[in-house]
Amino acid sequence: MPLGTYKEAVSARSTDSKILDVSQDGGIVSALLCYAIDEGIIEGAVVAGTPDDDWRPIPTVVTSSDEVIAAAGTKYSMSPTLSALKDAVRQNGLEKVGVVATPCQVQGLRKAKAYPFTRFVTEKVNLIIGIYCMENFPMASLDTFATSKLGFDSLTEASKMDIGKGKFWLTKDGEDKGLAIKETHGYEQAGCNVCQDYVAEWADVSTGSVGSPDGWSTVLVRTDDGESVFKAAVDAGLIETKPMDDVKPGLPLLEKLAKGKKDKNTAERERRAKMGVRIPTIY
Amino acid sequence: MTDRVVISPTTRQEGHAELVMEVDDAGIVTKGMYFSITPVRGLEKMVLDKAPETAPVLCQRICGVCPIPHTLASAEAMDMALGIEIPKAGKLLRKATLAAHNINSAAIHHFLVATDFVPEDKFVTAVDSVSEIRKNVQYVVDMIAGEGIHPSDIRVGGMARNITPFTKDRLVERMTALRPKLEAHIELIKNCVAESAEKLGIPEDLGVVNQPLMAVDPLYGSNDFDMDKFSEVLPETWYDDPEIGKRGCSVIPLWEGQNVETGPRARMEKYQGFKGKGVIAQHVARADEMLKNYDACLEALDAIDPAASARADYDPRGTGELGFGIIEGPRGTNAHMAKVVDGKTAFYSAIVPTIRAYDPCLSCATHVMVVDDEDKSILKNEMVRI
Repeated sequence: MPLGTYKEAVSARSTDSKILDVSQDGGIVSALLCYAIDEGIIEGAVVAGTPDDDWRPIPTVVTSSDEVIAAAGTKYSMSPTLSALKDAVRQNGLEKVGVVATPCQVQGLRKAKAYPFTRFVTEKVNLIIGIYCMENFPMASLDTFATSKLGFDSLTEASKMDIGKGKFWLTKDGEDKGLAIKETHGYEQAGCNVCQDYVAEWADVSTGSVGSPDGWSTVLVRTDDGESVFKAAVDAGLIETKPMDDVKPGLPLLEKLAKGKKDKNTAERERRAKMGVRIPTIY
Repeated sequence: MTDRVVISPTTRQEGHAELVMEVDDAGIVTKGMYFSITPVRGLEKMVLDKAPETAPVLCQRICGVCPIPHTLASAEAMDMALGIEIPKAGKLLRKATLAAHNINSAAIHHFLVATDFVPEDKFVTAVDSVSEIRKNVQYVVDMIAGEGIHPSDIRVGGMARNITPFTKDRLVERMTALRPKLEAHIELIKNCVAESAEKLGIPEDLGVVNQPLMAVDPLYGSNDFDMDKFSEVLPETWYDDPEIGKRGCSVIPLWEGQNVETGPRARMEKYQGFKGKGVIAQHVARADEMLKNYDACLEALDAIDPAASARADYDPRGTGELGFGIIEGPRGTNAHMAKVVDGKTAFYSAIVPTIRAYDPCLSCATHVMVVDDEDKSILKNEMVRI
C-alpha cells in the first residue's frame, strides 16, 4: 500500500481565517495543534519555526495558538526539529507534546519511542503530525539556487519561497523568478533519494496538499490517537471536510506520487547496494 | 599472637574496597585498615589537552552516585580557570540542581541502610517515601539540568538554557506538595535509627572521631581554596603495612597536615549547630540535612528569573591560572581544580570527599597507579584483579 496504514482519508481545511491567511494549504497542521493545545490534549509542540531572512528553519517549541500560527507555513530546508524535543520536555517542562515532522523524522521518533534509548523524553510525545515530503534541500542548495541559478546576490534578498507549477520560485522586489524542478535534481539531500516514505506512514495524522484542490489539504488519519484529535477538531467546527471521492485530483494522484517515490528510490537503493554502499533499513 | 581477618571486596559501598583487621587472642580487633582497591580510570588525565568544555562531560562519569557534584565542581573549576562570572540565573539553577540531587542521594542512602535500621512493619512505608521523594527531586534535576544522572545541561559558563515560567511554576508546585512526605520520612528514619541503635546496643562512641571538620559552605560550595593548607600522601606512606600501602588505590588528602571529617555531619556541625558525633549522629545529620536542602532548593527556584540568560559568553582560551570548583556533595566536600592554557586543559585534579567520609564510594576516590618510569609498565596491576 503506497499510503501506509490509515483509517480514513479526507480532504479538509481549517475554518479559521487567521490560520488560512498564513498556512501553506488547508492549515490542517496549525488547526490540529491549536485545537490540541487549547483543549489540553498537548501542552505544547515542537515545530519548524519561521525562518529569519536567511531562510534557515529553527526548531521551535510552541505552547499557545498564537505561537503555532506564527510558525505556520512550509519550510524548504531541513529543520532538525527533533533536536528541540529535549528542550520541550526539560526546560519547557512539557508532559504532553505534539511533534510536526517529515516522514524520516517520524520514523526516527517512532523508533526512539519503541526502544529505551531516551529517558522521559519520547514517551511524552502523544501526537505526531506527519507532513508529505518528496525531498528536502540543504541550506547550501537553496543558496545555490538563489545565487548561481537565479542571479540573486544572496538568498536573503528573497521575500518569498514556493514550489508549484513545476518550478521552484523565489520572489525578489515583487518579481517571481522560477527554476525548473528538474534543475534542482542532484541538490536534494542524498538520503532523500533512498527514502521510501512520501506520506509519513508512521504518523498519527499525515497531511499535505497533494490530492486536494487549492487551499485544501489531504488528510490521512492513521491511529486511534490521531483519529480522536482529528474527529474532535472537526466536531468542534475548527476543520471542515469533504470526502476524497468528491475532490479532484483525489487519492489516485497521492497514491501515484507515493508509489513513484518508492519505485524510483528502490532503484536508487539497488544501484547503491551494488556499489557496496550501506543503505538504510526500510520500515 | 595476632590473627588477620580480610574481607575483600567489601560490598556495602559503591566501588570495591578491602577491609583488613588485626585481631588479638581475645578476639578483639586491634587495628583496621579499610582501603580502596577500585581500578584507576584516569579521567583526570583523559581531559588533558582537550577543550575546557570536555572536562565536565568526562568528569561527571567519575561516578553515577554523585554525577551532579562532579559536574558542578568541574564546571565551576573551569569557570574560574577561564575567568568567567556566570549569570545569577545560572547560579540559582545550579544551586537548585545540587540541593535536589543531595536530597535524592540521602534518600538512596536511606534505602541502602533500611535493612539495618527499619523494622519489617515499617519497611514498605520507608521504601515508599524514598521512592516518592526521589521521583520528585529527580524531576527537578531532569528539568533544570537535562538528566537526573549525568546532567547534559550544566555547562561551562552557566547552564545550557533557563527554565520557562511554566516549568518554574510546575517545579515549585511539585516541591511544595512534597514537603509533608519529606518531613514524615525524616522523622521515620530518625526514629528507626534511634530505636535500632538502642535495640542492637550500638556503642555511643562507635565511629566517633575528633578530626577537624571540612566543609566550605552550608549547602552549595565556593571557589575559595587555600592550596597551601592542602597536601596529599601516597598510601605507602599512610599505612604502616607495606603490603597494604602497595594495594591501596586512593591517595590520602590532608588539610593542614591532618586527615579531616567531611560530609553531612561535618556540615551540619560547622554551619547548623548540630550536636552529636559518630555513626548514629551521621545518620541523623543526613536526614536533617534533607530539609535544609529542600528549603534551599525552593528558595533558589523561587528566585529564578526565567527571562534572564543562564549562560555567559566567554573566552575559551583560559587565564593560565588554577581554577577551583569546590562543591558540597552528599558525601562531603568535592574539589576539582583545573588550569587552561591556549584553549586546552593543561592541568586537572579532583580531590574527592569519599576518602574522608564515613560512607565511601570508591570509584571517585581511586587515584593511584604505579608505572615504571623506564619501560612504562604498570607495577600495580594486581589491584584490578578483584
